[in-house]
Amino acid sequence: MLGKMTKQMLTGNASIAWGVRLSDVDYIPAYPVTPQTEIIESLSKWIREGQMDAGFVTMDSEHSMITAAGAASATGVRVFTATSSQGLMYGFEMLYTVSGWRVPFVMANVSRGLSSPITLEPDHNDILAARDTGFLQIHCETCQEALDSILIAYRLAEDKSVLLPAIVNMDGFYLSFTREPVEIPNKEIVREFLPPYKPTHAFFRASQPMAQGVAVLGGHIYSYFKYQMHMANNNALSIYKEVSEEFKETFGRGYGTVEGYMLDDAEYVLIMSNSFSAMGKAAVKRAREKGLRIGLLRLRLLRPFPEEDIREALKGRKASAVIDQNISVGKGGILYSEIAGVLYNEKQRPLLLSFIGGLGGKNISDAEFDFIFDAMMNAYSTGNVPQPALLYTEAELEEMERLKRVAGKG
Amino acid sequence: MIKSIKDLTFEEQMLPGTPACAGCGGLLALRHCLKALGEKTVIVNAAGCFTLLCVYPFTPFKSSWLYTAMACAPAGAQGVRDALNILIKKGRLDEKEDLKVVVLTGDGAAYDMGLSSTSGAIYRNLDFYYICYDNEAYGNTGFQSSGATPFGSKTGTTLPAELNPLGSELSKKDLFEIWRSHKPPYLATISPSHPVDIANKFKKCEGIKGPKLFIAHSPCPPGWATEPRLSAKFAKLAVETGIWPLKEALYGEVKHTLIPKKFKPVEEYLSEQGRFAHLFKPIRQEEAIKNIQERVNRYWK
Amino acid sequence: MLKVRFHGRGGQGAKIASRVLGTAAFLEGYYAQDFPLYGAERRGAPIAAFTRISKEPILERGVISEPDVIVVMDETLLDDPLANPLSGLGKEGLVFINTTHKAEDIKKRYRIDANVLTLDITKISLDILGKPILSALAGGAASKIVRLKETSLKEAVTRELSDITHEKGLIEKNIEASIYCFNALPSVLIKSNASHKKSDVITMPFEAADISSPSVTIPANTPLKKTGNWRIFKPVWDYELCTKCMTCVMRCPDGCIRVNEEGFPYSDYENCKGCMICAEECPAKAIRKEREVHAW
Repeated sequence: MLGKMTKQMLTGNASIAWGVRLSDVDYIPAYPVTPQTEIIESLSKWIREGQMDAGFVTMDSEHSMITAAGAASATGVRVFTATSSQGLMYGFEMLYTVSGWRVPFVMANVSRGLSSPITLEPDHNDILAARDTGFLQIHCETCQEALDSILIAYRLAEDKSVLLPAIVNMDGFYLSFTREPVEIPNKEIVREFLPPYKPTHAFFRASQPMAQGVAVLGGHIYSYFKYQMHMANNNALSIYKEVSEEFKETFGRGYGTVEGYMLDDAEYVLIMSNSFSAMGKAAVKRAREKGLRIGLLRLRLLRPFPEEDIREALKGRKASAVIDQNISVGKGGILYSEIAGVLYNEKQRPLLLSFIGGLGGKNISDAEFDFIFDAMMNAYSTGNVPQPALLYTEAELEEMERLKRVAGKG
Repeated sequence: MIKSIKDLTFEEQMLPGTPACAGCGGLLALRHCLKALGEKTVIVNAAGCFTLLCVYPFTPFKSSWLYTAMACAPAGAQGVRDALNILIKKGRLDEKEDLKVVVLTGDGAAYDMGLSSTSGAIYRNLDFYYICYDNEAYGNTGFQSSGATPFGSKTGTTLPAELNPLGSELSKKDLFEIWRSHKPPYLATISPSHPVDIANKFKKCEGIKGPKLFIAHSPCPPGWATEPRLSAKFAKLAVETGIWPLKEALYGEVKHTLIPKKFKPVEEYLSEQGRFAHLFKPIRQEEAIKNIQERVNRYWK
Repeated sequence: MLKVRFHGRGGQGAKIASRVLGTAAFLEGYYAQDFPLYGAERRGAPIAAFTRISKEPILERGVISEPDVIVVMDETLLDDPLANPLSGLGKEGLVFINTTHKAEDIKKRYRIDANVLTLDITKISLDILGKPILSALAGGAASKIVRLKETSLKEAVTRELSDITHEKGLIEKNIEASIYCFNALPSVLIKSNASHKKSDVITMPFEAADISSPSVTIPANTPLKKTGNWRIFKPVWDYELCTKCMTCVMRCPDGCIRVNEEGFPYSDYENCKGCMICAEECPAKAIRKEREVHAW
């Protein structure tokens, strides 16, 4: 395998596992949860077969798992772990805690809708709940991107001016269990791109005592530490650009903080993230064939939030619509609010429409995309922006009626 | 075997100046445990009173410390231990740099919230020490009842009142037996009033790979409503009345390291503590006192 | 509005003192607000509590950084850089200090420009209550200073103490002690301090994680905190009686007792919190308990 690039049919989970294998990770505390389990199974297998030189331990919960990951990273090794949905929620307290230790490990989150009702298919309430924790966040559309993003995430997280943990996110089922051709980079080249982790800020050793994660009392002390994390996270924006440029030179594939699709001359922009963006791109392509000047902006780096790049991408457009695959109950789409915040002080900003779609993995049909495109154009021509809406079809409601009857609710 | 307190080391691993209360029994127990453990340690601490031993920019420890959260100090210990092993195995850290990994928690974490992560760490045969300073309630939040609160104790959430004159109606969990059921190589109960016993227990398990677990009975002046000067006395009385048996289990086999020649009545231990005062006045709760004595008698039979 | 800040050590009663004052003002028809600052709330550790009294609704909350009146319940706090009890005090302000020293001497010693009143309320509490619990006493002193009425103070102490204890006798003694302090002090005309010290808003400079993570890389530096200031009583050894048995050394929770060249134990008074376990446990009764007087 050495010396040449190889392409294989890989699931998103296997792609993540390959990214970890190539990154010379030392330690993997794990805990199974659908749909990420295949990641830790693959890694465990490789370690047991001697193909990877890393420690692997199954913990007693995600809370323990994230603690062990942070603690090992604080001791000075390169760490990976993975979770999803309920698991991320169970470990939530520790997300804030370990990021405060400034430990640069990487975690994969395989998005899945949150209980109740308990479900299996993806939406982004899990990962977006973690948006304020201090973790960097990279959201992926393809299996290749998932593999590549693991390498990029370590470079970002371990940069001296950042030193924060990172999450690589991908959708459950739509990526995690879906196979597509993926190029597995050459390990020697990866090692040049991602040198070994040598911490100078956090470690435990007899000759240099360190009290880590100590308490603080007093708002001015707390504010200092919290704001330093914020500045470090924001530093990752410029570092990201350097790293992705270097990645492109090394591996021939480039990833911006955001991705524009048919955006150059677009008057209307659809904003999406993760794997459903592919369906959005297809809808944009169809619309283009009809002569509509529509493009798509995919959000990839969610933390730090690339405000400048988003502003730039939306400059001079007539209208834009965000499909939030999440719902802040009692408010609406999370990313809509974040993008509105980015645009507010712009003099020539597009109208901004909000749609909730794809909750719990619900399909977004051509009709629903067309509905959004019509709404954008109508809003621009009339000047009236419609109320935020749920993407939901008549057929789906009819099916729901049928199920309700079976449940005795009819 | 160390015979007398004169033989204990004068070397201190934790210096004065901590924010712990004057007369803290847990701090006295910790001081002796750390003396026994020596200088190369990393303490992995759970939320509790001792969170405040390290408040920025201070640490009382000559060695290292990691504060985790309430439920997961044993998981933090797993991460640190595994990482040290990996660094040494891969030649990135000299063996001389190795540290003993020591979990430090109060009873709230040990008996309640952290039980799952402790169970996991023992099950995984993690090579670590666990010191629980057991002051028999959630002391850091002002003394509310925990799984370690004994029958009859007044706490912030078990106030003796008209409808519940006895204080806590529930009995203390037997953490020693919960831990022992996991079959760790070594576990022991200790008391800050018996530092020689502490030193010998740490000596006994030195070199054993795997979990080495200690529960330290820890008088708490503000919570127990006792005078700071009496902390050692109440620790001693708990042992002499048989309420706090000093014991150990090496590979599961239980041995008492001190059996009082003549047991003092539990009343001597209870009556002078504010948290049990309601058992004696305004009305003497004869049944409850008898109940506590009988539990002790049954244990030692 | 009058702003009063209490400084005490955990367990001395600063919180209740602030409540006694708040309730007394409330009973006289003022708008009042009181609250403690919970920090590492441990017996002996420096804590603060606050009372605001106003004829109009109070539109301030939180820590009082520029008080009109400061009540220092423990003189040793004046030497404690972490407590820093005199911070924000203007020339027009007033400081009450619980000390054995005279006001003029205190002013000189601590270079205080503002008005100073002193009274040894620890002695009063030991005499009347038998314990150094100063809540009602400090509340009484503060009530007099801000010119509230003796009757309001009495009712306030009754109400606040009834929340803590059902012992009638103890409440009576606390009333007695607080009235004693009330009468031992003059009432003072205090000009409310409305000025605000200005400190410019800055842009936070970035520092990499080796500096900006919450870790401490100097080992064992807590002795800088000088917890010896917590003491009310100190242990004193009589080497004539001491048998060098080492019991005191091994019973000290804080590890403050060392051994000198002749093998006798001695205390690190800079850090000894005065728990007195050593004196209690000494088999030879060679350690006596002495009231700590903050000698200069």
